[in-house]
Amino acid sequence: MTGKRVLLLVVALFGAFALAAAGCGGGNEESSGGTGSGGGETTPAANQTFTIGWGAEPPSLDPGLATDTTSSNVLLNIMDPLVRLNSDTLEAVPSLAESWDVSSDGKEVTFHLRQDGTWTNGDPVTASDFVYSWKRTLSPELAADYAYQLYGIEGAQEYNACQKNCDALADKVAVSAPDDYTLVVKLTSPQPWFIQQASHHSFLAVNQSAVEQFGDKWTEPQNIVTNGPFKLAKWEHDAEIDLVKNDDWRGAADVSLTSVPGKIIVDGTTRVQAFESGEIDALDGGGLPPDEIARLKETPEYEAYPALGTYYYGFNIKNISDIHERRALSLAVNRQEIIDQIAQADQIPATGMSPQGISGFDTINPNSPWTPAAGDLDQAKDELSQAASPKTDINLFFNDSPGHKEIATAVQAQWKELGINTTLKQQEWAQYLEFLGPPPNDAVDVYRLGWIYDYPDAINGLDLWTCDSGNNNTNFCDKSYDDLVAEARETPDDTARYDIYAQLEDKLFGQDGQLPILPIYWYTYPNLEKLSIKDTFNINPLDQFDLTQVTVKG
Amino acid sequence: MATFIIRRIIWTIPVILLVIFMTFVMMKQIGGNPFRKTERNVPPAIQANLERKFNLDKPWYQQYVYYVKDVATFDLGPSMSQRTRTVNDIIKDGFPKSLKLGLLAFLWAVILGIPLGVLAALKPNSIFDYFAMFFSTIGFALPSFFVATLLIYYVALKWGLVPTNGWPQGFLEFDDRVILPSFALGLFPMAYFARLVRGSMLETMQQDYVRTARAKGLTYRRVVGLHVLRNSLIPAVTATAPLLGLIITGTFIIEIIFSIPGIGRYFINSVFNRDFSVVMGITVLTSLIIIIANLFVDIMYGILDPRTRDVR
Repeated sequence: MTGKRVLLLVVALFGAFALAAAGCGGGNEESSGGTGSGGGETTPAANQTFTIGWGAEPPSLDPGLATDTTSSNVLLNIMDPLVRLNSDTLEAVPSLAESWDVSSDGKEVTFHLRQDGTWTNGDPVTASDFVYSWKRTLSPELAADYAYQLYGIEGAQEYNACQKNCDALADKVAVSAPDDYTLVVKLTSPQPWFIQQASHHSFLAVNQSAVEQFGDKWTEPQNIVTNGPFKLAKWEHDAEIDLVKNDDWRGAADVSLTSVPGKIIVDGTTRVQAFESGEIDALDGGGLPPDEIARLKETPEYEAYPALGTYYYGFNIKNISDIHERRALSLAVNRQEIIDQIAQADQIPATGMSPQGISGFDTINPNSPWTPAAGDLDQAKDELSQAASPKTDINLFFNDSPGHKEIATAVQAQWKELGINTTLKQQEWAQYLEFLGPPPNDAVDVYRLGWIYDYPDAINGLDLWTCDSGNNNTNFCDKSYDDLVAEARETPDDTARYDIYAQLEDKLFGQDGQLPILPIYWYTYPNLEKLSIKDTFNINPLDQFDLTQVTVKG
Repeated sequence: MATFIIRRIIWTIPVILLVIFMTFVMMKQIGGNPFRKTERNVPPAIQANLERKFNLDKPWYQQYVYYVKDVATFDLGPSMSQRTRTVNDIIKDGFPKSLKLGLLAFLWAVILGIPLGVLAALKPNSIFDYFAMFFSTIGFALPSFFVATLLIYYVALKWGLVPTNGWPQGFLEFDDRVILPSFALGLFPMAYFARLVRGSMLETMQQDYVRTARAKGLTYRRVVGLHVLRNSLIPAVTATAPLLGLIITGTFIIEIIFSIPGIGRYFINSVFNRDFSVVMGITVLTSLIIIIANLFVDIMYGILDPRTRDVR
């Protein structure tokens, strides 16, 4: 750095400081933000480098131990899953498995693996790699948080819960490799969503020799052995994670990007600033600061992807026991206003549990009379008048992440119109989760939570409301609901199963539905992307992105 | 003097034990499940596997003994939230970065704060004085996160002089990314030093020996440079230890804003994640630093003023 530049900086520091002192926050003049090349030409740029801003340090790049979106997205680009999901339809498309068969009873799945999958150490990728990896994830010694992803496999849950003689139980996990390129999985029940579920990072294979040689440190860049389109070139913890194209990957000819440097920037505002200064080409879909969305939405780099996720308020139906009151509370909420004024990221007003975009949505959606997008205050008052002894002082609990309080305040005002006094109670996340239960906490009348889907089948959200679900803090318990959930699990035929889902939604939100929860909106992933990659960089409704599809425009 | 130092070092042990105990009790009291990070409830079998792995299934006193043993052997165990790293890995990676940030912030304080104080004292009630005191007042008043955000907005984003975030990896690597974070963090100690030095300079200037030195014909420059400055810097030296504490807590927020991979950021995240082993490791480390800094100051006192040794 030259002396002049230092001087300039010192002057700049004092200058910025003086502005601060004068109490002037800066008259937010319109900055177009994008320094990236716009234009509509479609020729690929000579330099296929795409810098991404990761919202968090991946807590683990071990597919068995990873639980979060960042780790998942790194893993899905450095590893080769059996199947990937079509980003529009969410149907499973072949990846490492070139095809698969499902037995007529739906309980046995056979994956046929491609023969040209290779690990970066030169070994071929075989079916026994998957057998090893899945059993490793299930082993009680590894203590994987996401082991339950594999519970659909026969014998999996028993092995994971094992205390002694575990080897015998490991042998009973029904996944086998009759030859190098055939993987056979027996399921506990027909699970039509299992193929789609196999796209989840928990189902990725790990390289046995690397894991055994390096132990816990096998995911460090100097040790890691991968089998996907990109390789982990560098991982400076909490600072940088750089991927480079794997030229030996089976599909390398179709991959445009040669290098994907990644900067880990945890603070949302800093992340946006790094984007605006041109240091990164896109964010990873991890969200934008709520107070910046209104401004960023106006820029051409903004994009909001629909998500499979539902933001809801749960009722403790022991405390708010009258269905008429729950209907009134739901009718009084103006979801559209909450989205337009507060959430702002093009979320969709939720009219049921299962979000738009889920397979079979048109059949499943309950067309609920109790969840109009803009609310219906007159009808709400009418319903409330039919309630025998409505609870007029309500405690509403939520966690302290940005945005929730603003929504709660809006709902508080909307309920006030009904003559209901709402007390807002905010808690820190970990305490909040413990406080809610299970078992459901009696002190709670209404609570906020969200549900982000693991796989694109409505059962993943609908089975939350069964009696013994660990995620049901509403005290809603209906035997006939549970029976229908069990029936759905045994129904491989999509049309028949979606009909059952429709009945389940109807029990929750239909004309005579019990309304154990009040769905507010279906999530989106708001993001910022330079125009040079905006067309080819896409985030699917499960928050996954596929870098093999990205091309930098010239 | 040697017995004084040895006695102080031995006293460190019960202090650390108390720190471990207090941290342990507080972490247990705030509740929350370290293995439940999302709304998803953790299935009981998985919860049991995890608790067994991290010894959380043992009675509390046994867990406490484990922690003490870990600290005594400098092996702080695996992190509960970053499953493939140990607390030692995290400290080894992050601590040098935080230390560099703290030292640079301190450097700003010394190279800007002290001259500013001196200048103000030499020309009291002049425009220099007003500027220096105005600067130091706002340095006191503005929280570092506000200054940091403002600096990023103007210096990095609007004027494009430096990158908005990041940090050079090696301890001895420096580039333009270190400027804003260290300045933001150094502002408070800078303001503090300026004020302290100004006050003590003004006081020293009134001393008889200064008048004597002037009377016997020494130049003004020599009197100020040799006698006044040296004597007025002593309060600044003794203020270093408490300022160090402030710098350490300041790094926590600055590291988040500037995306610096130091341990302060880990500390905050670990509290939210209920990552007991990381919280414990970093608490013990920062306590040790503060204890050592205090010990250093006490030794300095002992050297400067023998009376303090007798009291203890």
